Amino acid sequence: MEELKTYIESGILELYVLGQLNAIEQAEVEDMAAKHPEIKQEIEAIEIAMEQYAQKNAVAPNPNIESKILAEISKPSVQDAIPIIPFNYAPYESKIKTLRIALAACAALLVVSGVALYNTHNELGNAKDQIALLSTEKEQYTTTVNYIKQSNADLQKIADMVTNPAWKIVQLAGTKMDPNAKMVVYWDTSKQNVIVDQSKMQLPLNDADHQYQLWALVNGKPVDLGVFDVKADSSQILINMKAIADAQTFAVTLEKRGGSPTPTMTQLIVAGNVSI
Amino acid sequence: MYSSALFGVISRLVPHTEVAEDILQETFIKIWNAADSYDSSKGRLFTWMMNIARNLSIDKVRSKDFRNSEKNQDIDNNVDFIDAQKEITFNADLLGLKDIVDTLKPEYNNVLDMVYFKGYTHVETAEELNLPLGTVKTRLRMAILELRKYFN
Repeated sequence: MEELKTYIESGILELYVLGQLNAIEQAEVEDMAAKHPEIKQEIEAIEIAMEQYAQKNAVAPNPNIESKILAEISKPSVQDAIPIIPFNYAPYESKIKTLRIALAACAALLVVSGVALYNTHNELGNAKDQIALLSTEKEQYTTTVNYIKQSNADLQKIADMVTNPAWKIVQLAGTKMDPNAKMVVYWDTSKQNVIVDQSKMQLPLNDADHQYQLWALVNGKPVDLGVFDVKADSSQILINMKAIADAQTFAVTLEKRGGSPTPTMTQLIVAGNVSI
Repeated sequence: MYSSALFGVISRLVPHTEVAEDILQETFIKIWNAADSYDSSKGRLFTWMMNIARNLSIDKVRSKDFRNSEKNQDIDNNVDFIDAQKEITFNADLLGLKDIVDTLKPEYNNVLDMVYFKGYTHVETAEELNLPLGTVKTRLRMAILELRKYFN
């Protein structure tokens, strides 16, 4: 009994009647009212007081309003479109509804953003692959262009040599060791440059332990003009060798890598005399 | 029969007569459409209708477009508007109220006035008056007890 008195005196019933409680508190009060007739009576007394207070404060609206309202109500029912208002409907419920919609919108936005991010990530990956592919292609082009430039420069040089009488073109023919072998040596008698032409060379590929060595025979004595490799994929057409002022014959032997001080005559592969 | 009582509260919350009339109309439409959800075991019909009217009024007063229109008052309307705000307009319907209000202690009446006619929640009232929430609840109860005594 004491408990009920405290409950009544707490002022919660007044707040209930004035629609100031949230849904949970409302349900609590309704529960209490259903269990205790004293509380139900108290609520009713408050309601009657507020009703009388409202009647005392009554202001007659414009008489036209009544007919307008009746006209509005007698229109075809729009009940489906209008949400049912619960007893003691509180203003924050509309706020909660707005917040729920906002929350749903945020969640939807998050999902959309996630998908967009995922797509962007994929596209970025694709773009990176493409960039890698393009840069590989570009490198290949650069290599090709360099190769072509080098070849072009070498070919230009060969063309110049032919027209320049200072250049001697020496054909070297195969020996017993390899009758099919042949190569060409260009020799600038004025500047003493010696150049080997790879494009006109037919020598077997040398292995890792051996290298070809070019010799000039000067008055019967062999002079070392340096070593060179015969590779399957050489980009260089012309190979510069050591200079020589005077020579009657050019010859090539297969020597150990780095060359030998004197030619190994059994390994003589090509030789040719300088035509005068 | 209830329309004057409802309109009395609406027009205290919303001082603009035209807007208040719109809200009255909206209130009746809502009452009409939601009649099924009224549960007589939970309270009196008038309390239910009053809370619908109050909530529509408070929603309106707190809505953005209403607040904007408040700022955009014509100068012509301003005098009436300020009068309405200060509630010094003569209102024959409220004449009987004077003696009730006189019987209420001002501090009780003030709290009831803020919650019932000005649309404050009891929490906002406590903040506004710088009072503990418990005091606001007690004063509200005392004010309504005074009203009950008066009407009996």
